[in-house]
Order: sequence, then C-alpha cells, then structure tokens
Amino acid sequence: MIQVQNASKKFALSKKQQEELQTEAGSLFAVSNVSFTCKPGSVFSLLGPNGAGKTTMLRMIATLLSLSSGTITVNGYDVGTQADQARRNIGFLTGSTNLYDRLTPLEMVKYFADLYKLPQSVFLARKDLLFEQLGINSFLNKRIGQLSTGMKQKVSIARTMIHDPDVVIFDEPTSGLDVITANNIIQLILDCKTAGKTIIFSSHIMSEVDLLCDELAIINKGQIVFSDDMSAFRKLSASKSLTSTFIDIVNNSEHNAPHLNRL
Amino acid sequence: MHPILTVFKKELKITLRDRKTLISSIVIPAVFMPLIILGVIKLQQYLNEGQNNRQLKIAMVNAPSAMDTLFKDPKITVLKQANAAIAADSVKEERYDAALVFDEQVATRSDNAGTSKVLIYYKSTDLGLKQRIMPKLERYKTALVSARLKKLDLSDSLLSPIVLHEEDLASKKELISVLVGGFLPYIFIIFCFLGCMYPTLDLITGEKEKGTIETLLTVPVSRFDILAGKILAIATIGLCAAFMTISGMFLTLRLMNGIPTELLIPINDILTPRFVVMLFGMLTPLSLFFAGLLSAIAIRAGSFKEAQSYVTPMTFIVIIPAMIALFPGVRLSWQTAWIPILNIALATKEIVAGKISMIQYTAIVATLIVFALIALRFSVRQFSKEGNILK
Repeated sequence: MIQVQNASKKFALSKKQQEELQTEAGSLFAVSNVSFTCKPGSVFSLLGPNGAGKTTMLRMIATLLSLSSGTITVNGYDVGTQADQARRNIGFLTGSTNLYDRLTPLEMVKYFADLYKLPQSVFLARKDLLFEQLGINSFLNKRIGQLSTGMKQKVSIARTMIHDPDVVIFDEPTSGLDVITANNIIQLILDCKTAGKTIIFSSHIMSEVDLLCDELAIINKGQIVFSDDMSAFRKLSASKSLTSTFIDIVNNSEHNAPHLNRL
Repeated sequence: MHPILTVFKKELKITLRDRKTLISSIVIPAVFMPLIILGVIKLQQYLNEGQNNRQLKIAMVNAPSAMDTLFKDPKITVLKQANAAIAADSVKEERYDAALVFDEQVATRSDNAGTSKVLIYYKSTDLGLKQRIMPKLERYKTALVSARLKKLDLSDSLLSPIVLHEEDLASKKELISVLVGGFLPYIFIIFCFLGCMYPTLDLITGEKEKGTIETLLTVPVSRFDILAGKILAIATIGLCAAFMTISGMFLTLRLMNGIPTELLIPINDILTPRFVVMLFGMLTPLSLFFAGLLSAIAIRAGSFKEAQSYVTPMTFIVIIPAMIALFPGVRLSWQTAWIPILNIALATKEIVAGKISMIQYTAIVATLIVFALIALRFSVRQFSKEGNILK
C-alpha cells in the first residue's frame, strides 16, 4: 500500500534554470499538495505530459527525493523517517535498464540481493525462479554490455524483483522499448497484480493504461487534475478516445489554473 | 557482508574489467614507466658512446710538432691547413668538427718563455667535443710549463703550493636520496593521482550518466555506505597504481644491465620491508585523500566529459607540491610536514636516506589521515545533495 498525503516538492532554481523557464521565481514546485492511495492487488497509473511531475512523484515514493512537505508511506513506513524499511518493500524499474555493462546478469542480481541482505538460500530460490520465468539462464554469464535491449530489460526486471517487493514502481517502463520487450513488462505488471502487490506506474501510452489500470491520476504542472478509477475515466471518454479525454483534462486544468507550478 | 564491502567488491570488479582503467592504472605504471626510464638510460648510454667513438676531424693551423703525438688517435683525423679563416669556415660549414689555430711564432714563444694564443673553433651544439680536445691541450700546456721550470732548475711542486683532497662523508643512501629520493615520490604521487582519476570518472560520473545510481539509491543502504565503498575502490586502484610504479622502477633498475654496483647496492638497501611499510603508511591516506577529493568534484559533473574538464586541472595542483620537493634547500621540517603531497615527497627522501624522525613521520601520516577525512566528508556532503545525484 502506498499512501500519499499532501506531498509537495520544491526545487531551488539556478540562474540558468530561471532563464530557461523565463521566471524570476527562486524556486519551483515540481509537485504540489498531491494526495492519493495505491492499494494492494491493483494498478495505479500516474499520467501526465512531459515535465508534469510524474518522475518527481515516483522518485519521492522510491525515497530518491525528499519531500518538501506532506507524507508518503509505503506499507506503513514513512519514506522520510523510515527510509530503509520503506526501501525493503520497494522495487523500482524504469524504461532505461540501468545496469552495469561489465557485470554478468548473475553478478548484477547477486549484487542487489547482497545489498538487500537476502540470505543465500532465499537468493538462490528467488534467482532460480526469476531466471527460469524470464529465460535468463541461457545468458546468465555473459557480460550485460553484450546483451540485446530485450535481454537487458529481463535482467533489469530480475534485479527489481529479486527481493520480492510488495510495492513496485514503474517509471515509464516501456518507453523506448520494442513491442516484444514492452510486452514482457506488461506481463510483469499483470503478474505483480495477480500476486497482490501494490503497483504504481507512469506512462504516456493510453493503450497500456487501458489494459492495466485499475485507478489513475492525471498530474499536470505538479498538481493532480483528475483522480478516479478506470471505469469512471472510461465513462468520461464515452464518445471519444482515452487520449482525447486525457488531453482535454490537461488543457482544461491549464485554463482554470494558469498559475500552477509557480511559487 | 557489510554494504561498504559489497559496494567495494563490485566497484573493484567492474573497474578491473575496464580496459581504459587497466591501461592507465596498471599497464602504464608497471610497464611503460620502467620502459621509459630504461629507454632514457640506454639512449643516454648509446649517445655517450657514440659521441666518444665518433671519428673527429680537426683542422690545425700553425700546429707545433707536439700536436702530432698528442692527437695521434685512430678516432681523430688531423688535417693541417694554412689559413685560419678557411679553418673557421670549415667548422661553421660542419666539414670539420673543430679547428685549432696556433700563433705563427708558437714554437719560438714557447722556447723564450713567451705566451702564445691558441684559438679553438667549434660548435657548442656539438656536445662532448670539448671533452675530447681540451685534455690534450691541457697536457701540452703542462708539458711546456714543466719544461720551463726544468730549464730554471725548479721543481713542478713550485706551482702546486696546496693539493686538494676531497673525502665525501655522505653515505651511499644519502647520495641516493639526493639522486632519486626527490624524483621517486614525484613519479608515484602522480601515478597514484592518475590511478584514482579514471575510476572516479567511471564509478561516480559514469554511474550518474548511465542512470544506474538511481536504482542503486533505492536499496536499503545509506548513501554514506555506497560512497564509502566507491571511494575505497578508487583509493585501492590509486594505491595499486603507485605500487606498480614503484615496483616497476625498482625491478627495472635491478634487472637492467650496466647499472654500477655502487649504485645497485644502495638501491637494494633501500628496498627494505621498513621502507615499503613506511611508504605505504603514507600512500594509503594519500590515495584516500585523492579519491575523496576527486569524488566530490566528479559528483557535481553531469557528464563524463564535464567531469574530465573539472578533474584534469587538478593534476597541476598535485604536481606543484610534488615539484617543490625537488627544489634544492626544501627539506622536511615542522612547517613542511603539514602540507599534503609536499610532506610525503620530502618524507620519502628522508626515508631513503634513512634519516626520518618517527615523530615527524607520525605527524605526516596523521596530517594525511585528517586531509583524507576532510575530503571524505566533503564528498559525502556533495553525494547527499539531490541535485548533484539525480539528472
């Protein structure tokens, strides 16, 4: 379970950033006063245009960024004050594989298992299961740098799931991947859902959202502009496509609150 | 296993699998440095031999008969000429190596206790030439003086009221410390720094650039432990580079033919377990200092290229104190003992000479440890800043 309550993240702006954003403000809210809950056994999708604050939100949940205000709990652990306990419950996967080219898949997964302090027997059992499911055994001793993108993504999944996390965060997990590799990720999300895990994922691809999502929130300029379950979103899109509905929500939010995102 | 060790082991593994790091940290110090030293020594020997065995062509004008005997040498060809200007031109045009132009009345003046002038035309760019000609002319001069004194029935000792005898009381070790004691730390300090530089770029900036740091920071391990593991790996590579440099240099000197025994014995004497332990006692905190400092800088860079532009000028900051140790008169004192890099360079000279004071040595090691801790703290602070870590 993930509980986000009034979470905000403010970044100080450098002079260069002020020039780029054409603002004189000394800081900017990347995420402002955001609240939502992700339940176990369901998929929560965070949608939004580029720069909306999706990655910042997911990074705060993953304990990579601290909160400026508000609280986030992962399985009851506060990400600010109980970061280590929260991290033990989190698996984090992004579209870029984030692997070490000079390690083999086996060494890569073992490294993360060691950092999670998994007992050797647990590691071996999890490794055998994941490598078998993902078909990694045929290349487990090859250097990652020599693997194809699809193979790398499989290793990345094994690395994310080696400690059997209750909460899995996917930050645009299929971005830039071919159809077959992207399908592996979609299958992983469905498997996690079946296993009763809490899943949050960000995406631009509406077909994925339609296929996987139970609940969704649309974020624009750091604020939640829509939050409901998927059936309500589908109902809203009755006469048009999900993409058009998403665009309408984002555009309406900009007209109604042009000040969004500024301090 | 403690997370620091887990990170350290993995970082060391991926660093040793990187060809660029292996070349810069292991191959160059261990192979190229000794090869360069060996090459320079051999080249110098070859050039010296070539210079001494080269066939010289000397033009002589108005040469007295004594010159025939003095310059009777199969490696010297003497050509008598009549004109001084032609002789000078022939040297200028490099048809002759030198020309000796004697006064026309040289024989008469010599007999009548007069003074004759001998003009030597040569090119100062022709290294080693004067060393082959001047002793012969000095011998001619001495023979003339001796003949004149004999004519006056005087002894040669009349012109030598005192005879100088030198006795060098410096031990062989002290001599070696002057000859190589300054140069030695200069080399291993630079290689220790370079040995730290490439792994820092790879393990800190490289990880940030590839985005692997993002997933690494989601594990239940503190940022301090992650950075400490990385810094330990970087320092180990730096230390390894310094070790390879020293062992490569000593092995070359020991295995190379033609090193005089009086030089070889002290070199063997220097390489005692005490020297090695004392040297690495200083090098360990120094490499940690380098690793901490470089990491703090590399963390701030957004790309490998940017990091390179930040850390490359640091090489000069390291070279300058190491070079100061080479200046004459710069000695290890309570003032210089607190200056990192300079203190280790000066202390190495003292260790080689066998004169190091244990109190000063302890102060140097303590200073280096303090600097290493400051660098580590600085890098931890940089690593804790979100803006520095995530793109």
